[in-house]
Amino acid sequence: MYRKQVRRRRAILALLILGSFALLTITYGQGSNGLQRGVSTIFSPLQSGADRALKPARDLVNWFDKTFDARGENSKLHGEVETLRREVAGAHSALAENTQLRKMLELDESGAIPSGYKPVTGRVIARSPTVWFADVTVDVGSGGGAEVGDPVVNGDGLVGTVTAVTGSSSQVELIANGPSAVAAKVVPSGIQGVIRAEVGEPGTLILDFLDSAKHVHKGQEVVTSGWRAEEISSGYPPNIPVGEITKASILQQEAQQQVRVRPFADLRNLEMVQVLTGGSRG
Amino acid sequence: MILTGKILARVVVALVLGVVLQLSFFSQVTLFHVSPDMLPALVACFGLLGGTMSGAVTGFSVGLLLDCLLIAPLGGGSLVLLATGYLAGAYRERFGLPKRLGAPLLCAALTLFAELGFGAVQAMLGEVGSNVSPLVLRDIAFKAIFAFFLSWPMYAGLRRLLRPALVEEPRPRRRPTAVGI
Repeated sequence: MYRKQVRRRRAILALLILGSFALLTITYGQGSNGLQRGVSTIFSPLQSGADRALKPARDLVNWFDKTFDARGENSKLHGEVETLRREVAGAHSALAENTQLRKMLELDESGAIPSGYKPVTGRVIARSPTVWFADVTVDVGSGGGAEVGDPVVNGDGLVGTVTAVTGSSSQVELIANGPSAVAAKVVPSGIQGVIRAEVGEPGTLILDFLDSAKHVHKGQEVVTSGWRAEEISSGYPPNIPVGEITKASILQQEAQQQVRVRPFADLRNLEMVQVLTGGSRG
Repeated sequence: MILTGKILARVVVALVLGVVLQLSFFSQVTLFHVSPDMLPALVACFGLLGGTMSGAVTGFSVGLLLDCLLIAPLGGGSLVLLATGYLAGAYRERFGLPKRLGAPLLCAALTLFAELGFGAVQAMLGEVGSNVSPLVLRDIAFKAIFAFFLSWPMYAGLRRLLRPALVEEPRPRRRPTAVGI
């Protein structure tokens, strides 16, 4: 009797392990499947409801976290505010000049979202719990026009790209995810590179594969380059702000051809994002 | 664990609630720049209360539901959480129910194991890039600490919820009546 029980337990355990490996083998790299679409459809209302109901509690916890941070950053920020005040005066005149130039060139004044893309606003309803994934789930699915490969932004800059879609939700791979790579350029110098992630540190990105003969500097802005070469093109439209160079030692640039970049978008605390639907995907 | 329809329903509700709470709340809050992960601790609690089979099956189910809701490749979460639940159950079957700090400490240790396991699965799938920050170790350590505190009420709550189904759970003593019966 006892032996029979042990055998049955071992069989169940082996079945579960084999099942896990089989599922991994079958579903890896397939995007979303029927099971996920079904479960997602059933749970979406529950998740959205829980998301809204728990927002005050989340805000409270995040407030504590930000208060801890703010105490440490207060003195540093005082110094930065002084510098920025001086820069803002210069920026205002540059902005006015820029607007005039844009009008002269008959470019789109906003310039934030490239033509041909239709932004669909969505809410982040789930986030991967482990430190290894940098994915979020948003409540914009194929019903809202989202497709795999659509870029995702928020008010601050580039967030990531849609990697799987169900009827009512999409998985967004953040630019801080391990395998993510974004073709980018430093403005105004135009030096090209690839934005890559440093796993476990979503507050820092790496601008890699820089031309070691050309140097970039701390504080310079990084935007998507949106290259196009005959029939293929970057998955991201050009000139979407990505981040700011925070660390750019000459030694590191020459030896490793890379610099550190702080993303403009706060990738740890995403709430609302825009999926840029309808653009060309090369 | 003695499974009846009523107990099964309780288990399912607890698991679904745990996953939804994780995705809608814990994953979206940060304390010291780290989001708590209650799922390995939840699975470990089931393993500690019900043994290897309960731990493995709940771990597999939670992992599968998690992967479905995150639209991630199926099986990775199941594999890691199944191992987590099984290990917790193996402890229980070898040493009995943990006492006092035993359960939270085990949950913290198994959360550490699960996070490393998630990393191993990701590395196996080629999803971890070549740049891995040492800060990831700090984050994992924080997750284990959070799991220690979260598992305290979780273990007590689940033990209460599943009491009728638990084997070897001492029943509360009846007070002697006046006639000594």
